[in-house]
This record gives sequence, C-alpha cells and structure tokens, in this order.
Amino acid sequence: MTLTLITFLPLIAALITLLIPKEQKQTIRLVSLLAAVGQVILAVVIWQNYNPSLAGVDDVSKFQFVERAAWFSVELGGYTVSADYLMGIDGLSVTMVILTAIVALVGVGASWTIEKSVKSYFVLYNLMSMSMMGCFLALDFFLFYIFWEVTLIPMYFLIGIWGGKNREYAAIKFFIYTLVGSVLMLLAIIALYASVIDPETGRNTFSMVAMANQQNFISGSALAPSEGNLLRALAFFALFLAFVIKVPMVPFHTWLPDAHVEAPTPISVVLAGVLLKLGGYGLLRINFPIFPEVFQQFAWWIALFGVISIVYGAFCAIAQTDFKKMVAYSSVSHMGFVLLGIAAVNSLGMSGAMLQMFSHGLLSPMMFLLVGVIYERAHTREMDKFGGLAKHMPVYAGFIMLAFMGNLGMPALSGFVAEAFVFLGAFAVEQTRLLSVIGTLGILLSAAYLLRAYKAMFTGERKPNAAYEVEGHHGEEHAHFHDWKGKVDLDGREIALLAPLAAIVIIIGVYPAPVLDLIMPSLNRVAEILSAAANVAMK
Amino acid sequence: MPNNLPEIIEQVKLSLGAFVPEISLSALFLLVITLDMVLNEKRVVIPMVSLVGFVITGFFTWQQLDMPNQEYFLRMHVVDPFAVFFKFLFLGAGALAVLITMDSEELGEKNVANIGEYYAVLIAMVLGMFLMASASDMLMMFLALELVSISSYILTGYLKHQIKSSEASLKYIIYGAVSSGLMVYGMSLIYGLTGQTNIYEIAKFISANEVDEVTLTLAALLVMGGFGYKIGAVPFHFWSPDVYEGAPTPVTAFLSVGSKAAGFAMLIRFFKVAIPAEPTGELAFDWVNFFALIALVSMLLGNFAAIWQSNVKRMLAYSSIAHAGYLLLGVLVADDLGTQAVMFYLAAYTVMTVGAFYVVILIANKIGSDDVNDYRGLGKRMPLTAAALTVFLVSLTGLPPTVGFIGKYMIFTALLGKGTVFLTLAIIGVLTSAVSLYYYFKIPLNMYLRESEDGAETPMESSAFANALAAFLMILTIGFGLFFTPLANFAKNSVIMLVMN
Amino acid sequence: MHIELNHYLWLSAFMFTVGVIGVLVRRNAIVIFMCVELMLNAVNLSFVAFSHFLSDIQGQMMVFFVMTVAAAEAAVGLAIVISLFRNRQTVNIDEINLLKG
Repeated sequence: MTLTLITFLPLIAALITLLIPKEQKQTIRLVSLLAAVGQVILAVVIWQNYNPSLAGVDDVSKFQFVERAAWFSVELGGYTVSADYLMGIDGLSVTMVILTAIVALVGVGASWTIEKSVKSYFVLYNLMSMSMMGCFLALDFFLFYIFWEVTLIPMYFLIGIWGGKNREYAAIKFFIYTLVGSVLMLLAIIALYASVIDPETGRNTFSMVAMANQQNFISGSALAPSEGNLLRALAFFALFLAFVIKVPMVPFHTWLPDAHVEAPTPISVVLAGVLLKLGGYGLLRINFPIFPEVFQQFAWWIALFGVISIVYGAFCAIAQTDFKKMVAYSSVSHMGFVLLGIAAVNSLGMSGAMLQMFSHGLLSPMMFLLVGVIYERAHTREMDKFGGLAKHMPVYAGFIMLAFMGNLGMPALSGFVAEAFVFLGAFAVEQTRLLSVIGTLGILLSAAYLLRAYKAMFTGERKPNAAYEVEGHHGEEHAHFHDWKGKVDLDGREIALLAPLAAIVIIIGVYPAPVLDLIMPSLNRVAEILSAAANVAMK
Repeated sequence: MPNNLPEIIEQVKLSLGAFVPEISLSALFLLVITLDMVLNEKRVVIPMVSLVGFVITGFFTWQQLDMPNQEYFLRMHVVDPFAVFFKFLFLGAGALAVLITMDSEELGEKNVANIGEYYAVLIAMVLGMFLMASASDMLMMFLALELVSISSYILTGYLKHQIKSSEASLKYIIYGAVSSGLMVYGMSLIYGLTGQTNIYEIAKFISANEVDEVTLTLAALLVMGGFGYKIGAVPFHFWSPDVYEGAPTPVTAFLSVGSKAAGFAMLIRFFKVAIPAEPTGELAFDWVNFFALIALVSMLLGNFAAIWQSNVKRMLAYSSIAHAGYLLLGVLVADDLGTQAVMFYLAAYTVMTVGAFYVVILIANKIGSDDVNDYRGLGKRMPLTAAALTVFLVSLTGLPPTVGFIGKYMIFTALLGKGTVFLTLAIIGVLTSAVSLYYYFKIPLNMYLRESEDGAETPMESSAFANALAAFLMILTIGFGLFFTPLANFAKNSVIMLVMN
Repeated sequence: MHIELNHYLWLSAFMFTVGVIGVLVRRNAIVIFMCVELMLNAVNLSFVAFSHFLSDIQGQMMVFFVMTVAAAEAAVGLAIVISLFRNRQTVNIDEINLLKG
C-alpha cells in the first residue's frame, strides 16, 4: 500500500481542497502541506525499509514494495489488450522518489505566498505532484504513460495563469513540445505491447520489467531483437525523442528557458527539480534497457549531444543578464552531464548520472528559490540592477554562494561527486574519452557565469539605478526595496525551505555512500544488460 | 427475389417484425406532428414526448440484439449487431440533441415561433440514420441518405430570420445535392456492371466474373463522393465550416455526431461487403489506398486549417474533418480490430463532441457570441461550464485520462503492425493530434489565462439542469476514459456483420 | 441505326457533366437547382438504359425513387431560396456570402 499511498496522497489533498471554500486560503495551504509532509514521511519509511542488495530492473521479484492489481483487459479485434496496476521500487527509482517527496514539500512551502486563486492553484499543484510521483513508481508502461501525460495539463495552467509576462507563449510551447514527444512514445508503447510476453503469465504485457529482458520478446514480432530490425531503431528514437525533450537535450531544449523564466517560483522549483529528471529516468528505465543494441550503436552520439548540451548551455548562460534565465540555461548545461554519464555505459558513469540527477534536483530548486527571493523583493531579475547585496543580505549571499559552489562542482558538495563520477566513467571508456575532456570545459564555463553573477550582484558597491535603496550613515546602513514590506534578508520561511536542501547537498558531497549504496546494484544490472548487447553486437 | 405478389406480401409481413424500432420512430414522428398541431404549450411537452419515444425505441432496439442476423424486406434491410450498435448511438445522439435544444436560446421562444416541426424533423433524421445503418441495397442506401440529408437541410435553415442560417442551408443543399447526384451516378454504373443492387449480390458477381476495372474504380469513386460528403472528409468537406457556423448550434452538434456516424456505418458496410477481394487476392478496387489518401489529407487539412479560426463552431468543423480522417484510418484497416476501433471512437466522439457543442451553446446563451476572443475570463465567471469544456477539449485532443485518448489508442493499435504505409499514417496521425492541441487549447487559454476585457467578474452560471447535463457528459468522458472495458466489449461484439456465404 | 447501350450512356454522361458544370459555373440559385435536376435525370436515363439492356426491372424501380427524391429536394431547396430571398432580396449566390469561404 505504501506506494499507492505516497502517489495518491496529493490526489486526496486535491479532492479535499475542491470542497474547501476558496476564501479559506490558510486551510487550503495547510491541507497541501500535510499531504506533502505525509509524502516525505512515507519516503523516509521507504528509504529505511529499502534493501539495497536487490537489483530489480528486469526481474519483478527483485523489486520492492511491489503492488500489483489487474486493471483492465479489453478484447480488440482478435487479441486482448490488458494492463495492470503495477508499481514497484528499485535502485533506479528510489532516489527519485525521495527527491520528488522533498521537492514537492519545498514547492508547497514556496507556494505559501501565492495569493491569486489559491484553491485552483493547489488543486492543480497536487494533481501534478501525484502524477510526478506515479511516473517514477509505475512499472506498467500504460500506467506510466497516463501519469506522464497527466503532468502536462496542470503544468500548462500553472505556468499560464500564475506565470510572468510571457506566460501564455511559454505554457503552450511547453505543452506542444512535450506532447509531440509523448505521442511518438505512444506508438512505441503500442508496438512494444505486441512484441513482449510476460514470463509469468505468458501473455502480452505492458510491464517495463518484462520488456527489459530481451528474452521476453516474441520472435518474429515487430520489435523482436533480430538482425537489422529497423523498427527497433525507430521505436528507440521515438522513445528517445520523448525523453530527451524533457531532459532537455540540445537542440530540443528551447522550451525550457521560456517555461522556467515565466513560471512562478514554486513551479520552476518543481519543474527543474523533478520534471527534468523524468527524462533521465525514462532513458535509464525504459529506453536503453529495452533497446540495448540500438543504444550501443548510438552511445557515442548521445555522449556527444550530452557534451554539446553542457557546453552550449553554459555559453548561453554566460550571455544572460536575467538571473533566472541564467539559472535556466545552467539547468540545460547540468543535465548534459546526465547524458554523458549514461552514455559511458559503465556503472561509474551511470552512477554519476544518477547522482547528478539527485544533486541537481536539490541544487536547482535552491537556485530558483533564491531567484524568487530577490524577485519578490526587487521585482526585477536583471543582474546589473544590484551590486553590493552581500552587505545587506548576508544570509542570502551565503546561501547563494553555497548553491553556486554546488553547481560549479566544488568538492565537499554533491555536485562535485556527481560530475567527478561522470567524467571518470566517460574517461574510462575509450570512445568517450575525448568527449569527457571537452565536457570538463563545462565546469570552467559554469565558474565563469556563476562567479560573474555573484560578483555583479553581491560584491562591490551598489550600482547606480539599482533596484534597492540604502539609507543611513556609513557603518549603519540600512537597505530597503521599493514595495517590499518584509525583512530584507531571508525570513524564517525562506530559510526553512533552503536549509534542508543545503544540508543534504553538503552531506552527500562529503559522504555520498548512502546514496551510492541505494543505486549501485540496479545500475550494475543496467550496465550488464547494456554491455551484453554490446558483446552480442561485436560478435 | 420472389416474383409473384402473394409471396412478396408474405415476405413484407414477416419483415415487419424486424422493423419494430423503425416503426416506433415513425409513430413517434406522426405523434409529434399531431401534438404540434393540437397543443398550444409545446415547448416542454414535445421534447419530453420525443425523449420517451427514443427510450421506447431503444428498448425495441435492444430486443434486436437477440435476433439472428438476417436480411429483411426483400433483402433491403439488415438486422445484425453492427446495425444495432449504431442504432443505439443514434438514439443517444438524438436524445442529447433534444436535451440541448431545450436549453438553447437560439431556438428559444424569442427567435423561433414553431418548434414542434423541428423535433419532428429531428425524429425523421434519426429514422433516416437507422435506415442508413441497416441498408443492404443501393436503393435503400440512397433513400436513407437522402432522408437524413433533406432533414439536415431543413434543420440547418431553421432560423428563417437569420441570414447565416439560410445561407448555410443553401450551401448545404447545393453541395449535398451534387454529392448525392454523384453517388447515384456511381450506383447506376455499378448496377450496369453487375446487374444487381443488393450489396451481397454485387460482391458475388464481382468475385465470380470479370468486371471492367476502370469503370468499377470510377463508379466506386463516385459513390465515395456521396459517402465522403456525409462524413465530411476531404475533398468533400467544403460545406462543413459554413454549415457548422451557420446552423443553430444544437443542429450542428447533432449533424457532427449523428450524420457522421451514419455515414461511417454505411461506408463500412458498403466497402467491406460490396467490393471484395478478387480471386487473385487483391481488391477489385483498391479502396484501402484510396482511403489512406483521403484520411491523410483530411487529417492534415482539418488540423492545420483549424488553427486560423476564431469562430469556435468553425474551428470545431475543421476539427471534425480531422476526426473523420482519424476514423478513416480505422476503416481502411479492414479487419475486425479496425472496425471495432472506429465504432468505439464514434461512441467516444459522440459524448465529447456533443458535450463541447453543448457548452458552446451555454456560453452563447450568456455572452451571445461564438468568437473565441469573447471567451475571455469565463473560467472565473462560469467555472463548472468552463471546466467541462476543458475536459471535452482535452478528450478531443486525445490526452489521457479521457475517452478520446482510448479511442485514438485503439485506432493506432489497429494501424500498427500492418506495414510501412500504415506506420507512416500512424505517425502522421499522432503528430497531427499534437498539433490539434494548439487550437483546442486556444479556448481554455482565453477562458482561464486571460481576464475578461471589461473586468467583469460577476458569476454567470447556467441553470442547475444545464450544469447537471454538462457534468454528466464530463463524467462520461473521464469515466469511459478510465473504465472503457464495457464499451470496448460492446463494440467488439457488434463488429459481427451479416456475411453472405 | 440501331441504338446501342453505348449511346444512352454517352448521352447520360454528357447530361451529367453539363449539370455538374452548370452547378459550378452558374450564379443564380434557381438555375443551380435546375442543373441538379439535370444531373439526377441523367442518372435516371442511365438506370433505365441499363435496365432495358439487362432485362432487369430493378433499374426502373430505382428511377421512381430517384425522381421522388429529386422532387423533394427541389421543394426543400426552393423553400430555402425563398427564405433567403425574403432576407436579402437576391438569388444570386455571389451576393450571399456572409460566411467566409
């Protein structure tokens, strides 16, 4: 029941919220907060009871917290289509589940200051939260697809109604972009169903677990692993497109700057923290294990595009003057590491990729929260409208420094471990050695834009025409922002949201073993599956 | 066919037993006309009587499920599960049409003096659709098609004082008359080639004898002209946008659902039965590739033209052209899976399209406009109505968890695994679905993301009954999206068409 | 000269084509309906010809029904034209074009 509960708790919150009259804003917020806290508690329960030695991936008996119920079985023409409600956790998903719970809670906290249509906001937010969690837990492809699609509609409205000036354009761009990928995924799902048998029941199945085992493919079927089966390559690319649009990988990243910049802070937090990870997770869980030989053929290209994302994203970030847009492009750049790590095909690289997903999933919300802080106060995000903020907002400057260092890959913070593993993994394999070296450029470039941003906004003197005023005498100066009545530096709520994220970032940076223990067995298994295909291909 | 009179009369008498639903509809028709002449207070009684009549007819139709598949009336009329499925669909659509007419101000007391005839013609149209689904002879197909078409012309032009309505009706009848002219010409050629008008006999003749291929192709294309016009596929679609925009919206809703479904029923029956595979295994007329072409063009044109529309009804017209394309994809996969997918999709399409048009009616009642830009801010002012419309639009796009998604899923499942051409069609189908998101979502965009221009925020909700009906359709849309097994099984069991040996 | 089936069919095709062209080209609504009637009568001719040469009565049966339907269609069509005329004082379809293309 645990998995069903952790997934549908937000749905219950949404339904309850529908019944609360829209004037009682505080009640609405509390209901969502309770649901999010509940999710975190369940995530901790899962973590504590998780047995790291079971690899899962392609064997249902090695998954944990498995829940299975027959969902529907329909006869279409000659044959039967049936899907099950199948949920389970293994090393690939456990870190993501924990991350989702944490980020969803932080998102609720960040949503506290939303005043417009609070009821609708939280109903949509909870719907989205439910489907995000469901995506990571679903092991039946049909179920996965439904959760995947259900994230889109609330997101459209959340960006489109509560977003910034250009929100209509950003919302529809996000929706259509992601939808194009999703509909191609649908075709792949249909084809896979017809080609795979569940070893337990002997019938066609949507189970992603069964699909990961090449022996479950019906020989002679459309997607059977045979010589020169072009359809497999087509299906691979259909799924690949769907997932890399979400990652996002250059050149399919252009929806991200618009969506992130226009979305309100809590939504940027969730978008960057969790939704982007759906892409990486999809590649690892679905795309690569099901079509390992196609992956092997294109692994170098995937690594190439990963490096392109790293470098191109970083260059774009350097060019930005808007703080939030810079952070958005830095997301593109950092998700490139995920692709590079996976394309290394060894467990070192892949664990780096997963660590990067987890670490970025914490750092990115931090960055967006921090952006939100300054935007709420100054109503601008232009970096040249500040200068000298460190004097007046020391706590804020401290957190920003931490987040920037994490993003850069400073040792003792989680970003370092992740990026180091990715480079080590990619370097170890001959074909990606050069790419790995080029990828390190990304660290250099991150330093460039992050440190420049810090310098522009925090150090030095207050710039002329800055968005804030300083009063008082030398030594006793007192800053204030126009239109902002609250505390200049971070207030209690904001610190409460940032501190846990920062803490985990530091802990993992120093002692990554707990996370690595959780993910290694499954990643090893995935690496085995992928390498087995390479051996077959090379014979 | 017997040649002497006593035997013919015997057969007709026997057939009457199989004709009960149609007789019941005819009786309802006469009853409504009489009530129209007799009563003064017609606005509530006549619709209620129609609804009761539909329910009774539904009961008789349900009884037909147990009957053996057979031809009646001198081999003109067929009773089989395929026909019964469609009859239920037509009754559902008709009942919904009656309900939404009651709520429409366009056809309300201020604008239309005598509404009784409207309901009578509506009933006649349903009767015509029944006949279309059961026709097994070219003559019957022609007559049934004309009954439905002529009724449609009348209903389209019902708002005599509005020029748009009369103009739409004129355009409709001109296109319709030309299309039926093409169709009967094609039928005459087929008759000339085979000497038969019964579709089973035609099939027998074509399989047994050498038939001039060119003429047969020409004839089939001409006949397709008539069918294509009814389902609104390219290049026979030109009447659609004007008629959808000009007709009173309840009529538009009924046309877009009922006559499309009837057209498909007839089309599937005709092409599956009458044009069989030749002894060499190839189709006498390669209608599969022909349909593929039409489907392709319909999906492309329908989806792309809809992007430029600002009138909601016109946009829904182009979108229904696109949906005709998706349905044709299911038709051209000639096996059971394809037919089942088409039938399921038509049932799903009924619910979501009638729902969408109904909300358009409710909104037009309040703001008096069908232009999408006037929908601004309605999310706040008519929350339930706007939410229902959003659900219907999500379903039309084909997103889970709605029934529209399941319908598209079934059609694409039918397409895959049958060859490269079909795969290409499937890919184009899914991509155009993604494109359709853009124009469908212009409506929620305006309703929710934009504020109304005069800043008005007063709530404008419709009556409780209207909300209940919209909510009911919305629940069906999502409910069937999650629990679609009963409907899918019903469709599967109904694929059984009468087959001649 | 003996009149063959061919001759009837050519005549029928010719009449039909003239009807279709007429519908496309003419601008007066009433003339358009006349052209539609021409089309349907061409079809009738075709049916009767086939019926005679195949010695099968079914063709002539169809003719009865096609004629009836044509009459009904014409009646409805003219009613619509009247309705339009009352609103716009014209039967020229070029001028009846409120609905965009």
